[in-house]
Amino acid sequence: MIKTAQDMKSYKKKIRQALGDSFLRSALDEFNTAYRENRPNVYKDIDFNGIRDAIAENKDSLIPFLEVLFEEFKLNAEKAGAIVHRAKDAQEANEIIARIAKENNVKKIIKSKSMTAEETFLNDHLEKQGFLVTETDLGEWIIQLKHEGPSHMVLPAIHLSRYQVGELFEKQTDLKVDAQNIDKLVKVARYELRPSFFEADMGVTGANFAIADSGTLGMVTNEGNMRLTTTLPRVHVALVGFDKLVSDLGSALRILKLLPRNATGQAITSYVTWIKGANQCLNASFEKKQMHVIFLDNGRLSLSKDPVFCTSLRCIRCGACANVCPIYSKVGGHKYGHVYIGAIGLILTLFFHGKENDRAIVRNCINCQACKEVCPVSIDLPHLIKKTYARVIKEEGKTPVKNFFLAKVMKNRKLFHFILRSAYLAQQPLSKGRPLIRHLPTFLEKDHGFRSLPTITKIPLRDLWQTLSPKLENPSLRIALFAGCAMDFIYPNHGKDLLKLLKKANIQVDFPLDQTCCGLPAMMAAEEKTARALAVQNIQAFSTEQYDYILTLCASCASHLTHNYEKIFREAKEPAPDLNPDLKLFTDKIIDFSSFMDKVYKFPQASQNINKQVTYHAPCHLCRGLQVTDEPRALIQKAGYTYVPSKDEDVCCGFGGSYSVDFPEISSEILKKKLDNVEASGADILVTDCPGCVMQLKGGLDKRQSPVKVLHLVELLAKKKE
Amino acid sequence: MEKNNLIQIMTEKAVAVGTIVHEIFSVSDALQYAVDLNKEKNLKTLACPGLDSEDQDRLRDLCKSSGMDFLEEPLRNHASSLDTSLTWVDYGIADTGTLMLASDSEEIRIATMLAQIHIAMLPVSKIMFNTGSIEAALNDILKKDSASYTAFITGPSRTADIERVLAIGVHGPVELHLLLIKDMQP
Repeated sequence: MIKTAQDMKSYKKKIRQALGDSFLRSALDEFNTAYRENRPNVYKDIDFNGIRDAIAENKDSLIPFLEVLFEEFKLNAEKAGAIVHRAKDAQEANEIIARIAKENNVKKIIKSKSMTAEETFLNDHLEKQGFLVTETDLGEWIIQLKHEGPSHMVLPAIHLSRYQVGELFEKQTDLKVDAQNIDKLVKVARYELRPSFFEADMGVTGANFAIADSGTLGMVTNEGNMRLTTTLPRVHVALVGFDKLVSDLGSALRILKLLPRNATGQAITSYVTWIKGANQCLNASFEKKQMHVIFLDNGRLSLSKDPVFCTSLRCIRCGACANVCPIYSKVGGHKYGHVYIGAIGLILTLFFHGKENDRAIVRNCINCQACKEVCPVSIDLPHLIKKTYARVIKEEGKTPVKNFFLAKVMKNRKLFHFILRSAYLAQQPLSKGRPLIRHLPTFLEKDHGFRSLPTITKIPLRDLWQTLSPKLENPSLRIALFAGCAMDFIYPNHGKDLLKLLKKANIQVDFPLDQTCCGLPAMMAAEEKTARALAVQNIQAFSTEQYDYILTLCASCASHLTHNYEKIFREAKEPAPDLNPDLKLFTDKIIDFSSFMDKVYKFPQASQNINKQVTYHAPCHLCRGLQVTDEPRALIQKAGYTYVPSKDEDVCCGFGGSYSVDFPEISSEILKKKLDNVEASGADILVTDCPGCVMQLKGGLDKRQSPVKVLHLVELLAKKKE
Repeated sequence: MEKNNLIQIMTEKAVAVGTIVHEIFSVSDALQYAVDLNKEKNLKTLACPGLDSEDQDRLRDLCKSSGMDFLEEPLRNHASSLDTSLTWVDYGIADTGTLMLASDSEEIRIATMLAQIHIAMLPVSKIMFNTGSIEAALNDILKKDSASYTAFITGPSRTADIERVLAIGVHGPVELHLLLIKDMQP
């Protein structure tokens, strides 16, 4: 039985348990790396983006008409002898299936893998009614023997080692099992389960596609158990979500191009089966199988009408959002979902299984965008997770303390900056005059001591600006700096380095003083009104038309300003139409540091090489948020350094703003892997171009007392010898 | 696309997913191949649903002379003793090494699902390039008002459910052999 943590305290306890499971940790870490490394190979001859966009567009055009497609499916399937039902919720679906079983005098039921049946907890229901239910998918059988839910949508038993599986099999079969040999374990399932197929009176499956214009189900599988489940017993019941409806075969074949590739790295699975109507079955009366298709609503139809969440119905259950998630790779699926696992699980849990089961897990997203990038149907998963969290907060009717303070403090720039300035004084006993705080007070050190913390600067960049930035006579370009809180209050030296570079190129740079936090931290806390208020303040702070660009050295700010401001206004209850022209002007002028230096500044090639090796950490919001990947690496080399790649460069560093404070135990593990890879690269310097990442990486390497130096790209470029 | 080119792609892609591919000249060769394979593997039984009755008779004779059991339909009665099955398939899909097989008949389904070894015969003229090239043919089947069960088969049955280690032969055939038959014209 699945027990998902319903409060943060018990969730934290479960997370700590998971982090202590050494098999889980190494298995999932390897999986994460292997999946991503294999991906270019899998998509070598495939236009992933093109097909993805076409699927998303097609799905979006169908989602408003799911009930029409249902009627069409029903008509066509029933012509071929199927009986088509609809169930409004899990309970009703389970009852229909139990009723079919009773009416047909069924004793034994076999199942092939179905996430939809997991969603309704069908097995529990059928077993309570006295039916013997056997899962036949290998992974599903394993977790059935272990009385657990799946820990991954495609690989349900990925959390278990061969030895744990061996133990389960020995207990089940009373035979000695050679658990070292996975091939032999698989054969145990083959021979042990085979009689179940013959003995069963009814087979239950899910489906990947329900094709409306022919009434056909499409199923994508590898083991062959689904084929047996739909062939040997005299009754076949397919439980299918309304979201699996597609209009025609072509739509299904298009999805089939990405589904296996994204799920398991296969061009196609061993079996893809198209079943229509009541097929021949020689041990059934009249030699025809009894075939039932049950369409499950369970909230899908109301989701289909929701302007924000309807896109979650595009999901084709490939599981890739878990595969690439740095958090999933640390804690595993049982701690990263309820029934549905991974990013999509954090969203769907609220709608299918209630706020109680979602309220803790939905907070565990670091917003690294890795899931969004691999999603084969273009669901903006990180964004929807925050929207889900906002809805949880709303449904709970209680404002979290953090949100209360964010709303109070952040909306008022002067108060916010006053607090930051005061922090400079408050930190003195800890920093002892150093730029990093290496040891925290004992009660914080245990959880948060994995990295040294940067100190708040005595004089923020905004105060230095007047003296630093003289007006140029005839500048070649005029840009405005969006400093971001980190550069302004922690790393004003990045600003000084920037000025040094820009002056050389005769570029005028201004610092509009009314600018404030970009609002990303508020958005991450699902503090939507505050995020919107900050967006308005920033747009108003910049006299955008005066500038060629608005430059920011923070990848997270850049990505937030570029993409999220538009979403904030589009999705707001009260849109601000008067702001729209300014908004577009503003977001169009935002540019990140690497793109600016490479494309606008045209940073020149150094005349001599510097004998230092530099590796790079790709900030999530730059490489995925803004798709900027080549420029920073090119700039490192133009500055005269040797660029040495390190493993998993584009994987999150574990910072995620306040994520690293909310979930320090996970943040520190993500950071550890990152730094192990950095050190293994042999580089002298680690460069990145986001001050948040700088903070995390510098803090971690300082704590390790590593000789590797961390620099923001601006520091590296400003160092360049003439 | 050039026929030889399609054969080449079909072969490469099928082999890549663990299918054993041979080019042969006639159904007779296929019957002999099935018997020889069974002998080599020390297996005892054979079935060939869907073949012409003449070809079935020939296989029955070959089994007899080789001391093997030819399994008569309905195969459901022999489902637990079925070693090897020989069937036609309708199309090859070259770019994934896939076989398309209309499996409305329960005999065909049981033969291709429960056998240890499935030997599939495909006339080379039925090799298409990709799923797009068979879409119309498949749609013709699905759009009929009658029931149908159509399979895409790509390599033997497989799983990676334990520690993501690939293992072949879970519930379906442990081996898939594809015999490309050259002398048949459309």
